Amino acid sequence: MATLDYVWLGVLAVFQGPELFSILGLPIPVTLLMILCGFLLGIVVGATPGLAGPVAMAISLPILISVFGYTPDALLPVMGCLIGIMKGATIGGAVPAILFNTPGTPDAFMTTLDGYPMAQQGNAKKALRVAHFASVSGDTFSDIVLVICAPFLALLVEGYLDLPEKTALLILSLSFIAAAVGGSPAKGLISTGLGLLVAFIGTGADFYPRLSMGTEALSQGIALGPAILGVLIIGAVFHELAGQWRHKEVVSCAQPQNEIGSDRLSLGDIRKLLPYIGRSAIVGTVVGALPGIGSTLAATIGYTMGRRRHHKIGKPGDPAFGEGAMEGIAATEAANSSVSGANLIPVLSLGIPGNTAAVFLILAADSIGGFNPGPSVFKFTTDTVNPELVIAFGLFTAMFVANFLNWTIGGIFMRSMGIMARVPRQLLLPVVLILTLTAIYVQETRLEVIWFTLAFGLLGYGMRLLSISPLPFVIAFILGGKLESTARQAFDATGSDPFFLFNNPIAAVFMLLSIAIIFLASHRKPEQK
Amino acid sequence: MKNFGRILVAALALTISTSATLAADWTPPGPIKLLIAFRAGGGADTQARLVAEALEAKMGWKFIPEQVTGKGGLNMAVALKGAANDGTVIGMTVTETFGYNMAAAPKAGMKPSDFTGLTTTAGFQMGIVAPTSKGWTSFDDMIAAGTGGQQIRFGVMSPKLADLAYLLGKAQGVTLNIVSVKGGKAVMDGVNAGDLDVGFMAGIQAKGVAAGDLVNLASALSEPLIQTPDAPTLADLGVAFNADGQFVFMGPAGMPQEARSALTQAIAGAVTDDATKAGGFIKKAFGGAVVIKGTELDAMLQSNYDAAGALLKAASE
Amino acid sequence: MIKKRLYQDTNFVTGLVFSILALLLLFVWIPLDSDTGLIEKVRRQVAIGDALAPTIAGVFLLIGGGLLMLLERNGDNQPAMDSNSVIFVGRVFAMLVLSFLVMRYAGPLAVELMNALQGSEREYRLLRDTAPWKWIGYVLGGTIAICGTISLTEGRFSPRALVVALLAIAALIAIFDLPFDDLLLPPNGDF
Repeated sequence: MATLDYVWLGVLAVFQGPELFSILGLPIPVTLLMILCGFLLGIVVGATPGLAGPVAMAISLPILISVFGYTPDALLPVMGCLIGIMKGATIGGAVPAILFNTPGTPDAFMTTLDGYPMAQQGNAKKALRVAHFASVSGDTFSDIVLVICAPFLALLVEGYLDLPEKTALLILSLSFIAAAVGGSPAKGLISTGLGLLVAFIGTGADFYPRLSMGTEALSQGIALGPAILGVLIIGAVFHELAGQWRHKEVVSCAQPQNEIGSDRLSLGDIRKLLPYIGRSAIVGTVVGALPGIGSTLAATIGYTMGRRRHHKIGKPGDPAFGEGAMEGIAATEAANSSVSGANLIPVLSLGIPGNTAAVFLILAADSIGGFNPGPSVFKFTTDTVNPELVIAFGLFTAMFVANFLNWTIGGIFMRSMGIMARVPRQLLLPVVLILTLTAIYVQETRLEVIWFTLAFGLLGYGMRLLSISPLPFVIAFILGGKLESTARQAFDATGSDPFFLFNNPIAAVFMLLSIAIIFLASHRKPEQK
Repeated sequence: MKNFGRILVAALALTISTSATLAADWTPPGPIKLLIAFRAGGGADTQARLVAEALEAKMGWKFIPEQVTGKGGLNMAVALKGAANDGTVIGMTVTETFGYNMAAAPKAGMKPSDFTGLTTTAGFQMGIVAPTSKGWTSFDDMIAAGTGGQQIRFGVMSPKLADLAYLLGKAQGVTLNIVSVKGGKAVMDGVNAGDLDVGFMAGIQAKGVAAGDLVNLASALSEPLIQTPDAPTLADLGVAFNADGQFVFMGPAGMPQEARSALTQAIAGAVTDDATKAGGFIKKAFGGAVVIKGTELDAMLQSNYDAAGALLKAASE
Repeated sequence: MIKKRLYQDTNFVTGLVFSILALLLLFVWIPLDSDTGLIEKVRRQVAIGDALAPTIAGVFLLIGGGLLMLLERNGDNQPAMDSNSVIFVGRVFAMLVLSFLVMRYAGPLAVELMNALQGSEREYRLLRDTAPWKWIGYVLGGTIAICGTISLTEGRFSPRALVVALLAIAALIAIFDLPFDDLLLPPNGDF
């Protein structure tokens, strides 16, 4: 099996997979249909303030698993749908940001700065077109980088890193996430520590389930669903409900003006936008490839860079950034969209998730089984077929299929989603709450998971209240078990060498870097927000 | 082994015809909860779900599979022990749960007689496997490398196998660095990636061995491996214990006889029939069904449990 | 808008709380509740014990709490605590717990009631996958949860909240229960 054969098998797995039905004798492969469903759902959810991609992914996952079962055949349709949601939500988030000054997703906040003024000036449709064009361009660029980089990074890791180095790499990722997310290394460390602690309850090598306090409920450990969805989704719902209750306000629905002039993007417009999109796409991709930093920061950097450039070369008479410049929308949307593809680089090559979308892909792979994201995926075996590698190339194919949908029908669908911003949140959020809890229950079928999820919801709410980012918690929780088992294996494999993390150069460098990152981050001068 | 299988099938046919009248009357009073002790997507899980599917189609019974994983099946056993014993709750795990694992975890306070054995479904072709790239063609080559001062990383996926690896090293006069990983697939990945030098694999090595990427250095069973019959067994190598084990369906203690025999027959029928998806999977992944049931199963589990004490003691010396 | 401040010094208090929790974890919970120590000797090989990993988690918490108290005490990211919001979320939480208790026990109670009225001897456990029994708990508990949360948020009960709740529950049953044979709605997996 040559490399290209694997690529081809992955493409075929998407297009020739089990067919659902056929139209006029043309079979419709189920994976393609699921990508489409996910993509449309993602746009709807992204366009609804208060919901975001993770909510849709959280709720879809148990339903998808029930439909497709626990066989390797289920991986591509299920993960394809999740990828569709991820991409759809990214462009959907710009809709309410532009039309109503309410970001549909957190990373669309910067889009409001120029998008809403443009809408007020009567260029709403054009603003949406700019957002769509920039978003899809950034996304496609990022996916190309992913497909090229992930296999090489994985081969590099597998070729040069032994067990001690892998342990040190996990420690480095965790300390990087703790230091980089949310701007406060102390809070990042707390979030990481909590995530690790929860991961270690009820697990361990001994037959006595540690930290279970002798209870049956804790002795099975905390499943991924209750902890992740509790902190990310239930916590966010509690937080939003409290905000809703405090303000009791209705979303201000400024009626968009009638469109002035053409809403089309002329070739001249595109030529003007491309430099901004290109820079932001590179920024977003680089930021995305580092675990844990996320799209909000990418959007901020992209916007700031764009503003500087616009200030320097902008012609007098063009609207400035913040006053309805379409370059502002493009710079933001290209940056936050190009995060998503690059974010899968550490997931697929190292098994380290960098953002919530990646967390859900890992959750899916873990629930279904048969695909363990990590360096072993990219083993190009020649005599036998490595099924995980076929899945990996299938996922890449799914991403490009989603991009194709995005280029073709995404824009039209997105521009019709303005209505979603009018859904009253105080009605929507309680339904999301019960939907999420039900979705968790049908997978775990113990009432204890409901209690756990609610408790983690309170934890998530508390973290938001104290502005402790929940992302390090989630990532540390996912990596905790892996960190412990890799460390144990490294220790055993080196014949119980207590200095196994320090007596080979690569591991030692990783360890020094992890300490340096925490140290530097906590000593840096407080920045202005 | 083939003959053995045929005898089993014949014996099974005989039992079905004799106790059919009794078992045919039994239908579960409600949906059957099927507790699966290993994570979704693995060999045990796939098998359990396929068996449930086959019985739903054939018997019209209703199964609701549920994962209760962790601690080598002990978590599942705890849940099963307290469950209703009218045949509406059964569990799927490996025999090691009721032998070594229960003996090694006295705090959990469980023994095989707390359960009703239904039937085993398939056995492990447990080998000691190294990658061909190491250049070892026989077990002796590995020992030679070890005595020559090379550190040998030995991957295992359960405490019992860790004990066996330790005793093996002791018997052969080499110190093995025993590395515990989660699941047989992880051993194979570790060996393939060069993180491990050698390890136990319970059947997943078959493809790699056939392709020439892996080599069975020894059999960890009481008998030689089907695929590599010339490889020595653990007994040949001076270890008095072995890794014989099977997948097994169990119920809580005190299950009524008609429920027990109806469930046993139905499951054994599904796994021995290559035409069902379950039977086909077992044939493909484990080389064919191994059905041990009834009093024979009870006796085997009890003797495994009793023997585990000796292994624990030997490995702690 | 008047914001009631619970603490002037959120970071310091948070750091203090997490430091104390970390110390309790490190010196009470972990030693008492794990069977092997930081390292253990098995099969003549020194191995990492079950207490080591949670200890590292505890050290993360301790360092985080300490940094928060010492270096970031005057950090800029200190949200004012609004005690009213916390009380509101507490109410929502209590209401959810209550509704899931209703969900858990409504079905078995209904079966008991039927047994008492008809003199039958049926068990909820065996009816957990049979309509309409399997829906009793979910519909009742779920409706209370959704309707209650909406009412708490809006500050009043409205028929609209009840209608939304009933429609949502019906939709959820249609999504999770009707198409799938082996999925169990809450609380039926517990029986």
